[in-house]
Amino acid sequence: MNKKSSRTSTSNENYSHLELVNLGKIFFKEKKFIDFRSKGNRSGFEAIKDIDLKIEKNTFVSIIGPSGCGKSTLLNLIAGLQAPTSGKIIIDGQAIKGPGPDRGVIFQNYALMPWLTTIQNIEFALNTVFPAKTKADVKERARKYLRMVGLEKASNKFPKELSGGMKQRVAIARALSINPNMLLMDEPFGALDALTRSYLQDELLSIWRKNKVTVVLITHSIEEALLLSDKIVLMSSGPSAIISEEISVDLERPRDREKIEQDPTYLKIKMRLEKHLLRETRAVEEVT
Amino acid sequence: MNKAISTRLTFAVAILSLLIFIILWQVIAQQGLLVKNFPGSFKTIGSLIWWVSDPFFDNGPNDLGIGTNLLISLRRVLIGYSLAVLVAIPLGVLMGMSKLAQSSLNPYVQLLKPVSPLAWLPVGLFVFRNSEITGIFVIFITSIWPTLINTAFGVASINPDYLRVSKSLGASKSITIRRVILPAIMPNILAGMRISMGTAWLVIVAAEMLLGTGIGYFIWNEWNNLSLENIFVAIIIIGFTGFILDQFFGFLQDKFDYSI
Repeated sequence: MNKKSSRTSTSNENYSHLELVNLGKIFFKEKKFIDFRSKGNRSGFEAIKDIDLKIEKNTFVSIIGPSGCGKSTLLNLIAGLQAPTSGKIIIDGQAIKGPGPDRGVIFQNYALMPWLTTIQNIEFALNTVFPAKTKADVKERARKYLRMVGLEKASNKFPKELSGGMKQRVAIARALSINPNMLLMDEPFGALDALTRSYLQDELLSIWRKNKVTVVLITHSIEEALLLSDKIVLMSSGPSAIISEEISVDLERPRDREKIEQDPTYLKIKMRLEKHLLRETRAVEEVT
Repeated sequence: MNKAISTRLTFAVAILSLLIFIILWQVIAQQGLLVKNFPGSFKTIGSLIWWVSDPFFDNGPNDLGIGTNLLISLRRVLIGYSLAVLVAIPLGVLMGMSKLAQSSLNPYVQLLKPVSPLAWLPVGLFVFRNSEITGIFVIFITSIWPTLINTAFGVASINPDYLRVSKSLGASKSITIRRVILPAIMPNILAGMRISMGTAWLVIVAAEMLLGTGIGYFIWNEWNNLSLENIFVAIIIIGFTGFILDQFFGFLQDKFDYSI
């Protein structure tokens, strides 16, 4: 908390929280027994290459691109779940070596442990990150974050008893409970119906306003990116995907879902995104 | 159809088919349609009642109550089986997690798994010089494979999301194994344990025919007495015990079923 309140001096406000330098990832095929004899020639699949990106503290950034372009790979690299083949990921001036509790990750399939209740899922995260905390402390904190996503009453339910939207809210509570300063979300609302999705988008915005974290959101929805982000990063089609454009979304906050659609800036950016995505998707579809 | 009526009907059909079976058995035996002196169902039921009414007498190793013999067999199975599970689960987790362990152990598993556990009986007798320990050893060998293979398979096919969550939180290997992998593969472990128990219960009968005492030896002994009806009594009791053991694991599997 201290770290965040020290942000009062305006000069510090906009330093980069996350910096990607010349980042690339190649997936090599697993060596089969027979391959040991043929030396070298390690052909692999290059998912992304030459990614350079700066993300400022406490901003909301969406990464958008055609399917299969390596968006998720990029997020996994930032989360430290996979190691890059080349380049560096710098967080708060330090190159990262692996995953860490400074980054909370939210997956598309919620990734809740089905053998744990809602509150136990959050307690698992807390116990793992803060092993020194007492049981009562952990329970208290888990309950606080469940309350934040409005699921206090479901604390003793198992994931299979919850709807998709509720599961994702638990996952959000779990990710935030460890007090990260960055939230990494991999198409978090992709599996939800339209109404639940807009409800959760609003929830996420209000949580983001209160908790002040940097958010990196992977999405394939233009509307979602426009509604939520300060900046939209466009990726080209894979393989060897690159960042083809960065667009600032200079729209007043809080943004009203209905009014925003009349805004000329909104429409302009939307057109541009649609054109780009169409072109890149066509490139994907016509190759295969 | 009404559910209550349907259950009652199923029950009635089961009773009816049992009655028909008993009567048919009695008629065929009485008429000597199969072989001469084949015991009928009435005689068998009579001796079943006789054995069950005083199950725990002990008149020396060749004349034990059927309950005593059953407990001897169960004890051997439980000891050998428990030891096998204690070895199979850690080894299975290791094989599922490590490519090296997988490729170095899998050839032995594949080679030994199809061998009838009874082939190990002389080996056990030679090494241990004790029929009791040999019986436990044979059950151990029998029980280890299904649990081992199911555990390893469970670990290898675990939902990668759980592991990613654990990794993203920076969990240690030990926490990941104890708090993520083991609970996640509980259904696989139980499925393996259920198969292991089923096979162990099959094998103990055969093994005991050669070892002395136990329900298997009871059958061998009654064969020497040419008392087929007592053998049928043993078959009924073995079947019933196996059924109870299997139901117990079925119950556990339902408890640990995470699917929606």
